[in-house]
Amino acid sequence: MVTSHYSPQAENKTIWVFLEQQDGVLEEVSLELLARGRELADQLGWTLEGLLLGQHVAGLAPHGIACGADRIWLAEHDLLEHFTIEAFTQVACQLLLQKRPSVFWLGATPNGRDLAGRLAVRLRTGLNADCTDLRIEPREGLLVCEVSGFGGGVLAMIEMRNHRPQMATVRPGVFALPHPDPSRVGEVISMEIDLDPAIIQTRVIERSVGAGLNLSRVPFLVTGGRGMEGDFKILEQLAQLFEGEVGATRPPVDEGHVGRERQVGQTGVVCSPKVALCCGISGAFHFVVGIEKASLVIAINSDPEAPIFEYADYCVVGDVHEVLPELIAVLSGQQVTYA
Amino acid sequence: MSAIEPRLVDDALWYRLLELTDGAAALCYQCGVCTAMCPWGDLRKEPLSVRTFLRQAQLGLQDGDQSLWLCTTCAQCSAACPRGVDIVKVLRALRLLAWELRQVEIGLPSVLWSLHWNNNPWTQPPSQRAGWAKGLDIPAFDPQQHEILFYVGCTSSFDRRSQKIARALVHLLDAAGVRYGYLGEAEPCCGESALSLGHSPYFREVARQAAQTFDEHGVTALVAISPHCYDVFKNHFSASMNNFEPMHYTQYLAQLLESGRLRFNQSEETRVTFQDPCYLGRHNGEYQAPRRILASIPGLELVEMTQHEEDGLCCGGGGGRMWLETPAGERFSDLRVEQAAACGASLLATACPFCVTCLEDSAKFKKLSGMQVLDIAELAARTVSNGKH
Amino acid sequence: MPELRQVVCMKVVPKPEEIRVDYETGLLKRASARSEINPPDMNALEMALSLKDFYGGRLEIISMGPPYFEPVLRAGLAMGADHLTLLSDAAFAGADTLATTYTLAQGIRKLGGADLIFCGEESSDGATGQVPPGLAEWLEVPQLTLLTALELDIECRVARGRREIKGGYEVLEVPLPCVVSVKTASNEPRFMDYRRQYWASEAERLKVWNAEDLSADPDCIGLTGSPTTVSGLAEAASRERRRQFLTGTPSELATQIAELLQKSL
Repeated sequence: MVTSHYSPQAENKTIWVFLEQQDGVLEEVSLELLARGRELADQLGWTLEGLLLGQHVAGLAPHGIACGADRIWLAEHDLLEHFTIEAFTQVACQLLLQKRPSVFWLGATPNGRDLAGRLAVRLRTGLNADCTDLRIEPREGLLVCEVSGFGGGVLAMIEMRNHRPQMATVRPGVFALPHPDPSRVGEVISMEIDLDPAIIQTRVIERSVGAGLNLSRVPFLVTGGRGMEGDFKILEQLAQLFEGEVGATRPPVDEGHVGRERQVGQTGVVCSPKVALCCGISGAFHFVVGIEKASLVIAINSDPEAPIFEYADYCVVGDVHEVLPELIAVLSGQQVTYA
Repeated sequence: MSAIEPRLVDDALWYRLLELTDGAAALCYQCGVCTAMCPWGDLRKEPLSVRTFLRQAQLGLQDGDQSLWLCTTCAQCSAACPRGVDIVKVLRALRLLAWELRQVEIGLPSVLWSLHWNNNPWTQPPSQRAGWAKGLDIPAFDPQQHEILFYVGCTSSFDRRSQKIARALVHLLDAAGVRYGYLGEAEPCCGESALSLGHSPYFREVARQAAQTFDEHGVTALVAISPHCYDVFKNHFSASMNNFEPMHYTQYLAQLLESGRLRFNQSEETRVTFQDPCYLGRHNGEYQAPRRILASIPGLELVEMTQHEEDGLCCGGGGGRMWLETPAGERFSDLRVEQAAACGASLLATACPFCVTCLEDSAKFKKLSGMQVLDIAELAARTVSNGKH
Repeated sequence: MPELRQVVCMKVVPKPEEIRVDYETGLLKRASARSEINPPDMNALEMALSLKDFYGGRLEIISMGPPYFEPVLRAGLAMGADHLTLLSDAAFAGADTLATTYTLAQGIRKLGGADLIFCGEESSDGATGQVPPGLAEWLEVPQLTLLTALELDIECRVARGRREIKGGYEVLEVPLPCVVSVKTASNEPRFMDYRRQYWASEAERLKVWNAEDLSADPDCIGLTGSPTTVSGLAEAASRERRRQFLTGTPSELATQIAELLQKSL
């Protein structure tokens, strides 16, 4: 059997969460993991600790504590200013080996996944990726990870008995965000690290945030069809409430209400959002192909016979021009006023 | 005026095209009737220069012109060609060269990959091929018991709109007391998308496998819903199979009417016009069977559009165009629904799932709310009651 | 300049919608499902092939799995790969990411390494996305993950990749050799070239290596080399759409939709 660098016997009963930050802001998924970690740590009487790496990031530590951490391990270094896989792996590995937590979680962000994949091999331990639930079995302190495979068709419970740390990644949004409590008390411990610039092989050449449109991966897709009668403003408003994007069927694109790059379907973009909200769409086969991979489909159409309802989880029989303004009002916590 | 760029003629390419087309282009004397007849001329500022493609085939040129993918293979050009050139064959050969040179339109490789992995060009799960027949209790085909194999095809298996055509036919076959079965999940794709998109080697592979499946199941008489499948079975398949008799469903229904097995007993007081599907009409010369069915429906008044039969206008969905986007204002079906409205019909009947999709879209786009688009099978099923469905 | 050497790691997966769980044994009924090449791996192969179109060189497909993978993977040869290596041994069975990446790394070493090692973003059956960084770690080379585009500077032996990050992109540069993972659906895989089909079906296109061939450490492969164990399996809720109708006044409907959105997003 392959053995990890430290064994269950040598572990400390702590849950570590990688506090990923970018440009001075903690990633929400890290906070979500703190929230879940807090629940489990309280049940088990363990401690919950955050690992915070970067340069000039000490100011983020109190927020981690407010979100549930008992302790923050902080490592600051010039070479940690931007994420590079080499430096982050090196430092995280050093600290994990020093402190030997039983459990280590990371957010399944692009950098979180990269780091987790590297670390698991370096530490010769197991890694459960994209978990949909995390539990800790109280008697032996085993982390039980629920993961889904085959496009969500199969759920598996996975654990590791002999290897530490018990690593897992979780996608953003699986767990709820915590309610920060600024009065929470915890400690921040600055760690000495040893980092050789020669190991860093990755160079960041360019970075641009806030550009481009990629409908295929947006988590919330608001699509409109002929039934919108050209009113796509309201769909944009709705999409913005959940950082989503607007897509469309062919007719509104043809009529010039929406750009061609937003056409969803066989001859447009095939999307796999968490939620696809279909507004005033009849459900032509050409279009439906583009939303089949959505985890949840909600359709609003005034015609109860509309084919779109055969492809929807929730079939809302109603007039989009009446339902959508109400929906926006409900979501933004306002009352609708009728003129 | 800019100078004309000299172009190099490639002997190898010339020979290859000659081989692929059996020299079909050689007959062409470049009169240009084909370009003049092409429906694209009515819709785009720049007509599709069919003549240029023929010239390229004659000389052995391939310049990556993407307008090659516009052709719906409707065959209106070849119907008018004074030299009888099989222009569709030439176009498909040029498309094969484009595949080899990797000059195909975006999205088309995915269609063939879907055929490869899913046994249908619609990226649908193969295990759900028989989903349309849920609750219908259709027996698995048995050559000892059944007169015909009911071949549904990919579009009517998966597209919810087109599934209605399949179910309407089940109703009609039951009403006529036909003993029939289907292959369910085991039904092979006919490979029409590969053929139309010009990938003849892959088409032959699909056809070989399909023929093998038919052979294993003892299929001889087959009735297809889509004229596209029917054309494949009739003209690109039969050579490899013995006693194989493919029919289009309109032909079979016409036979059932003649032999008195099928009767339309409810009347339909409507003015109807008929869209000739290209692969039923021009490609296979079948104009009468669908009209005989319409004529047998009591109360129905058939009027013809300005363009009909040999001169019928394509819906725009053939030649692989179902998998490519056609900009608004450039759709054949937009013209077609206007022609239908102009002849005073309130019902536009056709006999092809692609036609139904395109025409229905255009009737909505043109806001012709009084125009209903139906497949003949659906229309006929409405006038037959057998108390079973 | 020596020729460009590329390896593409590929996997055969059952079509996701056809997977069933055998509750008696708690195992997946893979045999009954139609197989396909893991779709993200097709995007990886396409990216590698387009580099081969430009730079030439040799492109090898490597895969770890049972013999039935072979006919499925030959599609990659028909697309343009030069050779297929299948790592196949009963001892490899039951491998998790750690054992899988170890085995693939041993295979790639035995092939003599490569300038570029491609992987798909993730597999449609496991969806862990952990193979590319794990493989890079075993091979001790840098990595470029989730790329939508890649260019090489052959003279300087560096690779520059464009990668999607939250709300944008970044361009990273690493020296060769490196591991590359390709963003799913970032390109359209070319269809098989039928002029290569006969060639692709020939026996000499394939090598099959077992654990001994790889000089693999028995402690590091298969179930033994896998820290994680599956303690239970369940078929997730049916993928059939629920088709539940909601009715009410516009404001009642809005409230119901809002709850659904807040719960799911």
